[in-house]
Amino acid sequence: MISVPCEEHRLENGLRIVLSPEPSVPIVAVNLWYDVGSRNEGSGQTGLAHLFEHMMFQGSRHVAGNQHFELLEGVGGSANASTWFDRTNYYETLPSHHLELALWLEADRMGWMLPALTAEKLENQRDVVKNERRQRYDNQPYGDWDERMLAMVYPPDHPYRHPVIGSLEDIDGFTLGDLESFFRAYYAPDNAVLTICGGFESTRALQWIKRYFGDIPPGAGTRMIPGDADAERENQVDANQTVEADVPLTRVYAGMRVPAFDDPAFHATDVAGDILGRGRASRLHHSLVLEQRLAKDVAAHVFPLMTGAAMMLVQATGNVGVDPEELAAAVVGQIDGLGTISSEDVARAVAMAETAILGQLEVAAQRADLLSMFATQFGDPARISTEIDRLRAVTPEAVETLVGERLGPENRAILTYVPRASA
Amino acid sequence: MSPARFPRTPPGPGPVTPFAFPPVHAARLDAGLEVRTARRHGVPLVTALLVMDAGEATVAGPRAGLAVLSGKALHGGTVHRSAVELACALEDMGTHLATSTGWDSTVVSLTCAVDRFPRALRLLSEVVLTPGYPGEEVERTREQQLGGIRQRRMYPAQLATAAAARFFFAEGTTYGRPMAGTEGTVAGLERTHVTDYAASRYRPHGAALIVAGDVAKVEVTDLAAECFGSWRGRATTVEATAGPRFGERRIVIVHRPGAVQSELRIGHASVPRATPDFFPLIVLNSVLGGAFTSRLNLNLREDKGFTYGVSSRFLLRRAGGMFRIATAVATEVTAAAVREVLAETEALVASGPTPAEVRGARDYLAGIFPLSMETTAQVASGIARVFVHGLSADHHARFRERVRAVKVEDVARAARSRLHPDALTVVVAGDADRVAPELEPLGPVEVHHDF
Repeated sequence: MISVPCEEHRLENGLRIVLSPEPSVPIVAVNLWYDVGSRNEGSGQTGLAHLFEHMMFQGSRHVAGNQHFELLEGVGGSANASTWFDRTNYYETLPSHHLELALWLEADRMGWMLPALTAEKLENQRDVVKNERRQRYDNQPYGDWDERMLAMVYPPDHPYRHPVIGSLEDIDGFTLGDLESFFRAYYAPDNAVLTICGGFESTRALQWIKRYFGDIPPGAGTRMIPGDADAERENQVDANQTVEADVPLTRVYAGMRVPAFDDPAFHATDVAGDILGRGRASRLHHSLVLEQRLAKDVAAHVFPLMTGAAMMLVQATGNVGVDPEELAAAVVGQIDGLGTISSEDVARAVAMAETAILGQLEVAAQRADLLSMFATQFGDPARISTEIDRLRAVTPEAVETLVGERLGPENRAILTYVPRASA
Repeated sequence: MSPARFPRTPPGPGPVTPFAFPPVHAARLDAGLEVRTARRHGVPLVTALLVMDAGEATVAGPRAGLAVLSGKALHGGTVHRSAVELACALEDMGTHLATSTGWDSTVVSLTCAVDRFPRALRLLSEVVLTPGYPGEEVERTREQQLGGIRQRRMYPAQLATAAAARFFFAEGTTYGRPMAGTEGTVAGLERTHVTDYAASRYRPHGAALIVAGDVAKVEVTDLAAECFGSWRGRATTVEATAGPRFGERRIVIVHRPGAVQSELRIGHASVPRATPDFFPLIVLNSVLGGAFTSRLNLNLREDKGFTYGVSSRFLLRRAGGMFRIATAVATEVTAAAVREVLAETEALVASGPTPAEVRGARDYLAGIFPLSMETTAQVASGIARVFVHGLSADHHARFRERVRAVKVEDVARAARSRLHPDALTVVVAGDADRVAPELEPLGPVEVHHDF
């Protein structure tokens, strides 16, 4: 049904390249995945991958600080980056005829970011990141949910134990030396995938890529995922936590470790999450919002994580005055109820997922990001065109089996926020 | 050191690939419903968007929040289906209905795979033409709306944005009130208010059905006639009011004891969307705070490290608009950040932009325009804006050309006539005990403990 054009190449220095040309389109998306994220941070280093992402916009050998944005915005492009548990991505979308500029900019910082690194730039971005943490975590109701939930779902030495943003204490401690060794280990062509999507011609683009990226040396330094990705949680002592906080309404989060993104059972997990909490016809919405009137809104989502185990996250925000225990029990009741699944349940979840995938394919930047993802994490960018088939192959039995094996009480962490009693 | 063959300066552009906004085919059903179709090939998706003259501005003050409630309560079902049956029917087709009410319109929309489009559009028309509004669903929706209003004070960004609307516009004006109503007005809304509102405002005359995607226009017109042909009537015209609250600079603090950050909203009332200054204004905004490399962001984020980000916008509506700068800064640098914002605004009005800034902003806006029109939903929403604000039919087709025609003098003039540094209202949602003393030198300060 869908076929996204997709060519693969590799330079001698190890850089993997994915090209998806549609020459008549007036815009082009460039997307780079570096195979590094918060999972690569050791103890005392939390937040380093994310702070480093900020530093990548502070200039490189031939690009002054902020010139990256100036040059791209000046030609009508947009650019950004994000850091996640398993990866860091950098991307720009711009008018097709400026593709070469984006490649030059990305190559300059992949090859020669260190010569432009200064203590002053580090101090400035340290402040920006600390403001980001204040804005998103500390000055926000429920803002610390992921910090709490990750620590409940993953055991102490698991690479997903800490949130991507990191702790203020660790952020305060980073030195130029930390940034330099991080760059040398991870920001290298043999640890990256470069994808181009949209209006360009392959032969020309490959010439530019070879010219700009071809002389960048492969990485020098140890890449590692500290801790133990396969560690099991030993007991259930911390599996329930109630927090009284400055929040407007009671909210229950349930977190479960589920098969990793590259596990054959992942798609059944995804469908289970959708049946549970995606859309108004989902079981949580039907039961908790419409019938029982316990909750104002509900959601369930599976984070596509690669290292050891992914996480299914369910949340329900209670109506005013709801009994927190009743709300938690209702959420758990719906998770238990997933033991029985009909073919209509699966068909509906798959139909919704299909539309969502088509929606992602409409946007060049999202197509490029998916291609980079499949290339980095599966070694096969062409999976983008068959992902819907894998969802369609999910059976009710497969979902029931997954639920029986992975969503039982022994694998649930429940985090409840309760509004602080007013003084 | 980089190899000799790596170019030291950025490469220039290649040949331009033209961008064409899809041609918009216009038709009209007998009862007055306008139909606009934009066909585009590619991903097999279609967006249908029904835009009705049922914005919150059509509601009288004592019933504030009624248009929002009437839109949201459409999810309660139809005379033929319960809420759950409606949701299942939509999601079985892989789609969901979105309802969105603003000041100027209520929009009911969906996006689905092209082969499911006829069935999905029939369902959309069933929802709008024969809403069920069951009592318990209206009540549940109203409780959620009330909950949202009550909880707003816990979310600093929402609180500051709401305070900005209230203090930028004069008391008693339409745009000065909260769009979703107040606890008092929403608590008084009954099912009959909702059914009466829908009966009077959800009418074809003054409404438009907009379809974008991989469908032929003739299919759409036939399908529109099938789905909406029996729909009759006209919504009366209601004018909103807008006007500034203060004629001089004011500082309004919404007190949040112990806040680690201050949410800032700095601005004033402005012109309607249909202003002839639209293109100079968007260039002006891009220079001041509309882009990452704008004056405000380079100063507050990249130079001072005060914030994760700062932006400015002209939010322009049918009867008037607002100019608003938004950011969040650490409590201890609140006054310093406000000073920088005021100084940047004053400098731009006094000296105007540089030719390089205007060139950069024009290229930026013209360049990103195709990026904002990639999806069927974006194309349909763009056509809806043309309809709602009565813009010229070639607005999108000529957008890039008109942006590129903006001159430095046009932007300087727009800055002088549309930015009023001396009449900026500075709204701070933050810890008044800590920030008020330092803000006092900047203008008269009022503190609200219970907003």
